[in-house]
Amino acid sequence: MQFDSTRPIWLQVMRELEISIVTGERGPGEKLPGGRDLALAYSINPNTAVRVYQELERAGLCETRRGLGTFVTSDTQRITALRSEFAHQTVHDFLQQLQRLGVTREQAAQMILKEE
Amino acid sequence: MLKLMKYELRKTWSTKAILLAVTAIVEIAYLIGLYADKEGTMSVSVLLLILLAFGGVMVIGLESILTLHRDMNTRQSYMLFMTPNSCYKILGAKILECGVSILLTGAFFFALGVLDITLLFAKEGQLSRLWETVQQFLSHFSVNGRALDISVRTMSAVAFVLLTAWISLISTAYLADVISAALLNGKKHNGFVSFLLFILLSYVTNRAAGLITASIHDSYTLMMVYGLIDLAFAAVMYVVTAMIMERKLSV
Amino acid sequence: MLESREVTKVFGAKTAVDHVTMKLEKGHVYAMLGPNGSGKTTWMKMAAGLIKPTSGEVLYQGQPVSIASRNEVAYMSTEPYFYTWMTVRDVGKYYQDFFADFSMDRYQALLRRMDLTEELKTKALSSGMMAKLKIAVTMARDARVYMLDEPFNGIDLLARDEIRAAVLEYATSDKLLLLSSHLVEEMEAIADRAVFLLEGRLVENVDLETMRMERGISMADRYRQIYGHTEG
Repeated sequence: MQFDSTRPIWLQVMRELEISIVTGERGPGEKLPGGRDLALAYSINPNTAVRVYQELERAGLCETRRGLGTFVTSDTQRITALRSEFAHQTVHDFLQQLQRLGVTREQAAQMILKEE
Repeated sequence: MLKLMKYELRKTWSTKAILLAVTAIVEIAYLIGLYADKEGTMSVSVLLLILLAFGGVMVIGLESILTLHRDMNTRQSYMLFMTPNSCYKILGAKILECGVSILLTGAFFFALGVLDITLLFAKEGQLSRLWETVQQFLSHFSVNGRALDISVRTMSAVAFVLLTAWISLISTAYLADVISAALLNGKKHNGFVSFLLFILLSYVTNRAAGLITASIHDSYTLMMVYGLIDLAFAAVMYVVTAMIMERKLSV
Repeated sequence: MLESREVTKVFGAKTAVDHVTMKLEKGHVYAMLGPNGSGKTTWMKMAAGLIKPTSGEVLYQGQPVSIASRNEVAYMSTEPYFYTWMTVRDVGKYYQDFFADFSMDRYQALLRRMDLTEELKTKALSSGMMAKLKIAVTMARDARVYMLDEPFNGIDLLARDEIRAAVLEYATSDKLLLLSSHLVEEMEAIADRAVFLLEGRLVENVDLETMRMERGISMADRYRQIYGHTEG
């Protein structure tokens, strides 16, 4: 994964994991790689990997069970809420782009319906 | 300590192997000369063996000094100084390996000499012209104005004093090299400075030894005492060298 | 774990390290940055006990760096230093003879990862292979502190990935890793702290993620900020 080194790396890896959870790539309750494995997989410092899971847990998207590892949350409502958050953000960004391009929402809606 | 010595030997073994090979060739030449009654070959071989004995011991000592110089002044210094060994151990291993090599070489040539002479007597049964040649050669050397005799006692005293003198010389060289390396910190031409220091130190120790032995007249006692003084000097210089290395050397 | 107290080293007229005071803690990977001549190598050598400071001291676990600390502090220099008569195998045996924490198995595994064979003579190695050998033999030790001086120099992309992976494998909570390199971008993600030296002085000792969050800059950006106007 290519990082933007001007922004915290833990944030970027966390985002990656969030996306994988939201798209279902990692299902609810699925086991996540251990901290050290995560570090190796993404080529990041182990302390950064620890931070990723800390923040992910704080966001209610994963839970650490002592001795067993870290698991994606089984709380499907939480995942749905996150999916909704991302969807809204995507729409928001999309609309901002349109505004810059001078395309109206009605024109955009037409284009969406016609798009394959 | 033994491990350090093992590596000191490995650094120098090719020279020693060559020395051994050349000695073997000359020895074979001597044996051929002896049993084929070629006195010319024998004489030349004997002289060559004597040269090899002295030369060999000198070369071993010189190589030891050069190895120390290289070990302190090139990047190879990291190999030694990053290991968890004190400078006393590192230097001690060098001196021991060199000292043991010299003593073994000395003993080896001495034994070879005894063997060759025995074979000669066994074949000839009498003193041959060869033996007279050797006597002539050795009579050029004298200690304190008295000519040498060829008794075993005297010969071993001579061997002792020569070997200890050489060991003392090597210690002096070590000390000079370390002082100049510590002072100049690996700058170019520190070999030249160390050579000058070496001359100075040798002169001082020789004068001191001369003063101490001034009253001794018996050549045997003189040689033994001189030898012991040289060993004592070598020991002191070892300690001083190691102290300087430990405190001041930066590689 | 490694503390530098007002450490200074003067070589004749040049002050290579100028009153550097800092504490490096275990469980972290430090990037030590600065242009040539900024004092990185000299400082590392003092921490390794190869050079004696002119003044000040380097402490390892609270004790001044000594012969004993060489058992736990591994240093890899920028220059090649192996005896020229040695083979790759001999180098391993040498380390095994003198370092109790050296593992021949780990050494051989690292050699395989770096595509080096044991029969090769050190004098026949290209500079790239020599660089890889130095890393292999240093990392085959189970030390508490690893100081790698320019570990990425002269090394191809794939080997650099291997080295980065090896560094991460060793970055456990009880070890301290210190990497100095010109290749700043190589270390952005694997280091979590950075130490910047300029003309022998310490400029800054930062936690990288904190710096990214608070200042929105990368380690490379910070490098340019510090050294940018002093060059050219």
